[in-house]
Amino acid sequence: MIADPPALSMSASLEHGAHIRTVVLGSRAPRRAAAWYRRALGLSGPDEVLRAGDVELRITSRADVEPTAVEPIRTVLNFVVDDILEIEARLVAMEAIWVRELESTPWGIIGTVVDPDGNLVQIIEPARGTLPWSAKGREERS
Amino acid sequence: MATPPLGSILLGTSNPVRLRDWYTAAFAPDGAAFSEVSPTMFAGNFGDVGVLIDGRTDVGDKNPEPGRVILNFHVEDARATADRLNRIGVTWLGELEQREGGLFGTLIDPDGNYIQIIQFEKG
Repeated sequence: MIADPPALSMSASLEHGAHIRTVVLGSRAPRRAAAWYRRALGLSGPDEVLRAGDVELRITSRADVEPTAVEPIRTVLNFVVDDILEIEARLVAMEAIWVRELESTPWGIIGTVVDPDGNLVQIIEPARGTLPWSAKGREERS
Repeated sequence: MATPPLGSILLGTSNPVRLRDWYTAAFAPDGAAFSEVSPTMFAGNFGDVGVLIDGRTDVGDKNPEPGRVILNFHVEDARATADRLNRIGVTWLGELEQREGGLFGTLIDPDGNYIQIIQFEKG
């Protein structure tokens, strides 16, 4: 079971410290992975460099990873979405594998799927306002 | 459709306290980078992205596939960051070096995850 996002308020942040601006996914099939993220989540960008809000998702070819993630629970990517039912419909049409089907929680609706490389991808539609555990939520986009 | 932001990244670990302390020492020398959600879960923000450290019993001590997901931490002063990292005794996969576009270094966290520190050249 993947942990739910914490519901506690989180004020800790780094104003002037390190910022995560890119997440690099190592893949044996980066084009396939990028196509999946475009279609499933609507991420955009050239080739295998995709934009997810203010963060870049860069999918690179690596020979030192297996075709499918060995221990996917090591890293789960949590995407904040405006309309989770729309995303769910896309994922169902794509026959995505659900680890956790959509579920209502006190802080929003959450579901978890597996990307083509076996990585866990969580989609979250916050109940209201920004997520307490995330610096960027939907408040800037609604 | 607007591009959904990557709100946070969850790191599953067999030793959440060790991982929290390491990321705090590495990137938040003033402390208070993470808040405690539970004794085995910690949440922090690194710019626009949250990092959730999730203690689990179903992962090993070391990441068997560190090339699978790599987090890039952008810093204002990579040499100062590298000096601090060296003082706390980190393991480098590739030490900080000047490349086209800026300074880049790759290190290994206590779980064996690869992370990069990057300082882009200004202008």
